[in-house]
Amino acid sequence: MASEDELNLLVIVMDVNPIWWGQQAQRDMSESTECLDAVMVMGNSHMAMTTTNRLAVISSHFQDSHFLYPCKNWTGGDGAWDGTMDEAPYCGDGKYELLSVANNVVAEEMKRVMSTTEMKGNSTDTLLAGSLAKALCCILLQKIVTFFSAGQEMKSRILVIKTAEDCARQYMNFMNVIFAAQKQNILIDACVLDSDSGLLQQACDITGGLYLKIPQKIALAQYLLWVFLPDLEQRPQLVLPPPVHVDYRAACFCHRNLIEIGYVCSVCLSIFCNFSPICTTCETAFKIQLPQMMKSKKKKLKQSI
Amino acid sequence: MDEEPERAKRWEGGYERTWEVLKEDEFGSLKATVEEILFQSKRKRALESHGQVRLGMMRHLYVVIDSSRTMEDMDLRPNRLKATLKLMEAFVEEYFDQNPISQVGLITTKNKRAEKLTELAGNPKKHLAALKKARDAACVGEPSLYNSLNLAMQTLKHMPGHTSREIVVIFSSLTTCDPANIYELIKTLKSLKIRVSVIGLSAEVRVCTVLTRETGGTYHVCLDESHFKELLMFHVKPPPANAQSECSLIRMGRCAHVCFSQTLKHSQTHLDSTSEVGLSLGGYFCPQCHAKHTELPVECKICGLTLVSAPHLARSFHHLFPLEAFRETPLEELPADRFCHACQGKLKDKIVFTCPFCSGVFCTECDLFIHDSLHCCPSCINSQHSN
Repeated sequence: MASEDELNLLVIVMDVNPIWWGQQAQRDMSESTECLDAVMVMGNSHMAMTTTNRLAVISSHFQDSHFLYPCKNWTGGDGAWDGTMDEAPYCGDGKYELLSVANNVVAEEMKRVMSTTEMKGNSTDTLLAGSLAKALCCILLQKIVTFFSAGQEMKSRILVIKTAEDCARQYMNFMNVIFAAQKQNILIDACVLDSDSGLLQQACDITGGLYLKIPQKIALAQYLLWVFLPDLEQRPQLVLPPPVHVDYRAACFCHRNLIEIGYVCSVCLSIFCNFSPICTTCETAFKIQLPQMMKSKKKKLKQSI
Repeated sequence: MDEEPERAKRWEGGYERTWEVLKEDEFGSLKATVEEILFQSKRKRALESHGQVRLGMMRHLYVVIDSSRTMEDMDLRPNRLKATLKLMEAFVEEYFDQNPISQVGLITTKNKRAEKLTELAGNPKKHLAALKKARDAACVGEPSLYNSLNLAMQTLKHMPGHTSREIVVIFSSLTTCDPANIYELIKTLKSLKIRVSVIGLSAEVRVCTVLTRETGGTYHVCLDESHFKELLMFHVKPPPANAQSECSLIRMGRCAHVCFSQTLKHSQTHLDSTSEVGLSLGGYFCPQCHAKHTELPVECKICGLTLVSAPHLARSFHHLFPLEAFRETPLEELPADRFCHACQGKLKDKIVFTCPFCSGVFCTECDLFIHDSLHCCPSCINSQHSN
């Protein structure tokens, strides 16, 4: 069990692409509000485990990412985690006040985000790399603050709830974010609702987190509580879903096929499936290795006896 | 040999009035000045960037560690050798983090001889184990610069032309015992395009100055332990490539990790690595000959194909597309009560950083994190997508 003094920060990054959710609503009547409810159940459970646990929720839209909780317009930044809640509304059902406050704030902010963001284009992919980068910076700031104020180390992890497909353009930024997370020892867990995501599989593999594709969306809360609520020390004691086989093959730059053996330019590290004399990315000419010239040996003619 | 004018030595210049940097504020405290100095040193690293220079990504680096009598000196705690070995462990880890497809080898020199501690290899475990074992070694005799450079050169000269060949010497003695003329060796190193850099622990030695100048490396003498660490970590970044180095397409195979719990018939595959004994369940298969290997990156012993995995190459991408330094703006110019775009913390420092592309505002800590580890601006990623 975790010791009494450890601080655990859980950052939940939620994918709220409205176009995807609209399509889902038409297809099988599932709503984004159900997903949000399940996520808040998970968040409340995390905060209820120990008083020192903390939560942050980020919504990832396709153009921007917003912090749903803690919200800077509410008590001005760090108020949520200092325990100074002078304006906490009285909820009346005897619940731990922090949980009701969190629920209200998330609901308010979500409404604000969905109604005020302008829609440009109709792509169905989301901007995970930006939200993860913001999550990492936020974790870093909290680590510094808690270290200086309370002298305690803070452990943190990120849970990504992904709905829409991957965006191929953010591969490089995504990989940068993953390596930064690995250096800081921050786990990235992924809970995927619809289609498998190769990027998130790689992220979970590299940082040591869990990847799960949910077969039934209705049971989202159950999966979240079972698989993603226990923190790192308790996970070896549980029987959790096995790791998936990650496809680490890269795509060649000329045809976008997945290849196993290819040629890599030594200057710009771009990958090609066939040998070509010039690299198309950095335009360096390559030295072609010619077969070596062998001196022809003079053969002695066999003398027949 | 000495046609170039040498740098003027420090005692030849005028007086530097270093006490004038410190200024007291009206309460007599130096806190503001000290913070300013710390802030500038934090920013110094972020400002060095190579720009559009071709970098040598695949590096073959030999580190020569002087293990002579002078390394028992205790001016670095606990003694010079132990401090060096500890910093080398951090160096090896950081090196493979920044240059995943490169290789490192270790050489020690004492008793007028040079000895290879580890061969050139791409995996940090062997080097870390060897460094831990070397802590108990005794420091005797005199170092031999010639022998250690010769030993490194024997291996480096066979390396392919598109990789960078480097030697870093950690030299603490003021003398060296060489069997032949070292200036001839310097000429040979220069012709083989091997770049030698030296980090001195005692004082500046003339032969090292000539060595580094001729081969194109750097020579610094460390002042204290933190300066030593800074000098060592300077060699982690890929250096600009030589203009004459060849560029070629390298044939590489990509492997995925395979777990054997599902397929029993593979459990008898023998391991290619001869240093470890035993069978393991998981491993990497070469796509060309299906030989099993336990670690990546490695060169397949059966068919000679270089094996990497995609994250290894992806780690080096940030060197190719470096992030620009952010502009410094004083806090007063912004509308009141602004928050850092990345961490949502309140902006308290006097100076904040603005990204030139997306005008996102960041605090000092986030700026340092973004330039050191993240290598991408969080708000630029968002605005790129909407284009």
